[in-house]
Order: sequence, then C-alpha cells, then structure tokens
Amino acid sequence: MSVILSIPTLGLIAILQSAVVSRLPLNHGTADLVLVVLVAIALQKNVSTSWQWSIVGGLFMDFLSGLPFGIFTGSYLLATGLALIIRERIWRFSFLMQLLVVFFGTIFSHALSFLVLFLQGSEISLGTVLQVVTLPSVILNFMISLPIFILTQDVLEQINPQD
Amino acid sequence: MNIRFPKSLRIITLSLVAIGILALALSGVFSTFSRWVVSPITSVQTWVSLQFEGVENFVSASQDIREIRQQNTELEAENARMQAQIVELQQQLVEFEILSALLEFARANPEHQYIGASVIGRDPSPFLNYIIINRGSDDGLRRGMPVVTQNGLAGRVVQVTATGARVSLITDPVTKINVRVEPSRSAAVLTGSITGDITLEQIPQDDDVNPGNLILTSGLGGNYPANIIVGQITSVRSRENALFQSASVQPVTDFSDLSIVLVIINFEPVDFSPLIPDSGTP
Repeated sequence: MSVILSIPTLGLIAILQSAVVSRLPLNHGTADLVLVVLVAIALQKNVSTSWQWSIVGGLFMDFLSGLPFGIFTGSYLLATGLALIIRERIWRFSFLMQLLVVFFGTIFSHALSFLVLFLQGSEISLGTVLQVVTLPSVILNFMISLPIFILTQDVLEQINPQD
Repeated sequence: MNIRFPKSLRIITLSLVAIGILALALSGVFSTFSRWVVSPITSVQTWVSLQFEGVENFVSASQDIREIRQQNTELEAENARMQAQIVELQQQLVEFEILSALLEFARANPEHQYIGASVIGRDPSPFLNYIIINRGSDDGLRRGMPVVTQNGLAGRVVQVTATGARVSLITDPVTKINVRVEPSRSAAVLTGSITGDITLEQIPQDDDVNPGNLILTSGLGGNYPANIIVGQITSVRSRENALFQSASVQPVTDFSDLSIVLVIINFEPVDFSPLIPDSGTP
C-alpha cells in the first residue's frame, strides 16, 4: 500500500481525532483513532508499509499534540512492531489480535505520556491515571476497533483485489 | 275497407287523446301504473349510477393519491429544509448569545484588547487539557497571552502557528497560577489535575477562606493579568499540623463546552528566567 496515500488518509484521521474524537471522552479517556487504524492496517496480510504508515500517523499526532515530540510516533511504532510480530507468528489471526495489539498500544502510549509528564513535574498519580484515563481509553479503543478493522479489511481488498 | 279520416280530424283526435292522458295523469289515475314502471327503472338507474360513481371515485382517487404523494414528498423536503434551518438558527442563536456575553465581558474589562477565536479542536492526548483555536501569529497572537471566556479565565496560549494556536487550560495538570481569594485577599496557587479538577494550594493557615469565596488572578509571576475571575471555593481542607490550607475550586468556565474564546492581546507576560540564577553559578 502506497506511503503517499498515508499522508492524506492519516492527516484526515488525525484532524478527525482532534476535532471530534477528543471531544467525546469517557470519563477522562479518549479513543485513539490513529492507533486503531494503524494496528488494523499492520495486521492485514501483504501490507508491507506498516512502519512507514506508523511514522506518518505518529508525526501527524505529534504535530497536533502538546506532548513532547515523538511520544505518539514512538508508541505507534511499538504497537506496529507488536502487530507485525503477531502477524508473522500466528498463522490465523483474528479480530482478537486487533484487540490485543490495541490494548498494548494504548498502554505503551499512556505509559510514555505519563512518564514524560511525571518527569516534567506534573503531580499525577498512576492510580488516578489508570482509573480515569487509561481504562476508559482502552474501552473506547475496543469499541471502535471492530468497525475500523472491518472497514480497513474492505478498503484494502478494494485497493488490492489481487491480494 | 279503408276508412280514411281527414288529416285535421286525426290531429284533433290525437290532441284530445293526449290531453285526456295528461288529465288522467294529473288526476293521479296513473300513479300505481307509473310506480310499477318507474320503480325498476329507478333501481337500475341507481345501481348504474353507483357503479359509475365507484369507477369515477377510483379514477379520481388514484389521481388524488398521486397528487397527495407528490405533495407529501414536497412537504417532507420542505420539512427537512425547515429542520435544517431551525438547527442552523439555533446554532446561530447560541453563537450570538456567547458573542454577546463575550462582548459584555470585553466592555466590562476595557483595559484589555481582545481578539475572538473559535475552538477548532482539542489535544489528541487525554493527558493534556489543551484546546486548539483558529487564530495564530498572523492575527497578532503570541505565546503567553491569556485566554478568557465570558465567565472568566480559561487558560493561556502555549504554542502559536501562523493560523492557529494551542491553549493550555487552567485545568491542565501542569498549570500553576498565582491567585487571590476574595474577600480575604489571601494569596494562593491554583493547580490543575489530570481529572480536570482545580485546587487551591498554599493558602496560609491563618487566612480566613470559606466556601463561596471568589478566586481571582493576582498578577504575581507575570503570567496572567490581575483581577480576572477564575472560580469559586467549594470546600476547604485544613489540617492542624500542616503549613498551608488547600481548597477545591469550581471554575467559572465550563471547559466541556468551549466554542468561542477571547485572547487578551495587549498583555505581555513577564519573563523572569534571566533573573533566576543557575544552580551552578557561584
């Protein structure tokens, strides 16, 4: 799948994330649309540009976010790496793998954010973060995972019918 | 044998017969007879008329149904248009109300110059309480400018691009604002949190602060102008052994529903960093 295509696609998704998804919190957690899309793409067979897509998505999110540059890119690369390992190791992966990778991707992302903010001097407690931010975010990410997984599969089949 | 009457006599005879029949009919002699004859005719005529009316109704009704359906479609389209217009007008009304309130705020605080901005997004990270606004350096925005709503303080600009800016809200965990409690005029520090709650810290133990007291910016530290309302104390926590009291604060701004804000553009934050000696400096 073309890397050029990732720029408008992920740019649009990142804008959607900032303008809409971030305004729909569950408690204080929000869904990470870009992460879920990147994981869904990385888990598809014969997609060889997952790393590049992760970098593009991460850069867009780092540009939009006030967090130190690289947190989103780093966590998306970790999630993509996990997705690729699972894709290679497990012959028949299913939607459950999507949930697994999204879960760990959310944890990576939040752990990095927490660590950076903690080092910057923010008085935030791990228990509160897990309770009011991470757990609701994981639930929201799970909720959007199924439609995005199916949509990604369909779109990729349309783009590469021979695959 | 043919008897031939004169023509005039035949006419007279026929006229007399006609007059006679007419007279008999008028006198009611034929009523029974006419009932027998007319009754079946009327019945048949009624039946035929009913069938004709049925057919006529069917034909005209199908025409009517078509017209009614067409009218219904047109009305539905009209209704949809009106609904969209109502939503648009309601939105405009809300915007108008917000703008009126902002104007009111600007008039009440004429010492500042303002520029209005729409909130176009939020930070994608749930760890930061930031908003993104549609005004940037092209509109005269600079880093550190305070941002207010019609109710009071909202935050300050932390990053500026040509056409947009990122605003750190006062609920952000990194936020620390020097404030003053009214009416006691106690100095304190307002801090945000990951949950969006704001707390008042470092209130001297002897100061008299109570629920309902107002919180205003003090202007100390040079990051915010003085006397902008921030919120109201909801509860005070005081321990005997502690040096300071703390309090929970209800912000005056509803951060979940921010759509338009004002940026104070004639405020220059004071940069104290050159005055702070490095720890390595002798």
